Amino acid sequence: MNFVVLYLLLVKATLTSFSGLASLPVVRNDFVQHRHVLTDRQLATAVAAGRIGPGPLGIYVVSVGYLVDGTPGACAGWLAMITPAFLIIPMLRFLGVRAEHPRARAVARAVLFAGAGLMASAAVPLARDAIANPLPLGILVVSFLVIAFARVDSLWVMLGAALAGLVSFYF
Amino acid sequence: MPRPRLSALSHLFLRVGVTVFGGGDPTIAILQREFYRRDWLSPEKFAIAFGLARLTPGTNVLAFSAAAGWYILGIAGALAAVLASTIPASLLVIWLTRAYRLTAHYPLALAIANTLLAAAVGTMLGAAVLLVRTQCKPGRWLRPVAISIAAFVLADVVKLTPLEVIGAAAVAGFFWPES
Repeated sequence: MNFVVLYLLLVKATLTSFSGLASLPVVRNDFVQHRHVLTDRQLATAVAAGRIGPGPLGIYVVSVGYLVDGTPGACAGWLAMITPAFLIIPMLRFLGVRAEHPRARAVARAVLFAGAGLMASAAVPLARDAIANPLPLGILVVSFLVIAFARVDSLWVMLGAALAGLVSFYF
Repeated sequence: MPRPRLSALSHLFLRVGVTVFGGGDPTIAILQREFYRRDWLSPEKFAIAFGLARLTPGTNVLAFSAAAGWYILGIAGALAAVLASTIPASLLVIWLTRAYRLTAHYPLALAIANTLLAAAVGTMLGAAVLLVRTQCKPGRWLRPVAISIAAFVLADVVKLTPLEVIGAAAVAGFFWPES
């Protein structure tokens, strides 16, 4: 895929989301459903790679770029990840305290909540792909509960899942 | 307030970028501690950067890093903060993705990959619930929950595109003010 097209598609996803993984539905819509350059399994792999390492949740777009077009794709993903961050500088200069206006905050928070619904929607087909037998189903449920209701770093969830896979292979 | 050298600012963001796991909130918490300890950023500027980062599209912690860097050393500071905190972590993610691709056909690697993918999906669903939970205050859960469920239904059942769902949420947010 052309570098510029890849960058524009990924930056469209990052510019229309307000938290790291909230860009996932747009990425899935463009790369899995419309252009067929990525599978649901590869997308889940990108999310997993982003969660195992340090850095922000949105870093998975670097992995998406890499899976689509190798090193140039990873560069496009990295650029798409960092581009929206610099929008805050004109906001600091010109908006300042006005961004705290109740109506502006209400709109931003509504978009944030919609991001949660979209994230869950994007996870549904990935779940169908991931659940091949009872073990992945159990891991999915435990991971969900731990992340949603306990203060545990997602790194430990991933390491625990890897350990479960290792143990299941030998036993 | 002391004005640090660009290399010192870059070093702080690089160190935090490669050593803090768990996403944006822990990273911002560590940066806050480090800024106050060094007297690089006032609590007032920290609050503005934090608040505006939540309203900036994309990854909140990167917007926060750009804002903090800009307050401390201008445009060069913003660039240094974002580059130093993302380049090493991105290289690590590429390495992890490569490692997965190279080992995916081995049975042991496949077994581990299957459980990792299930955990990744569980993490996504958990993160969605956590996002709403942390915004719900006692007695004020209806708006966050209703908008989230409506977005899920619009995307999954009505099959609207994510951009259409986000647009609908923005309109709903404008006409349904927070109590």
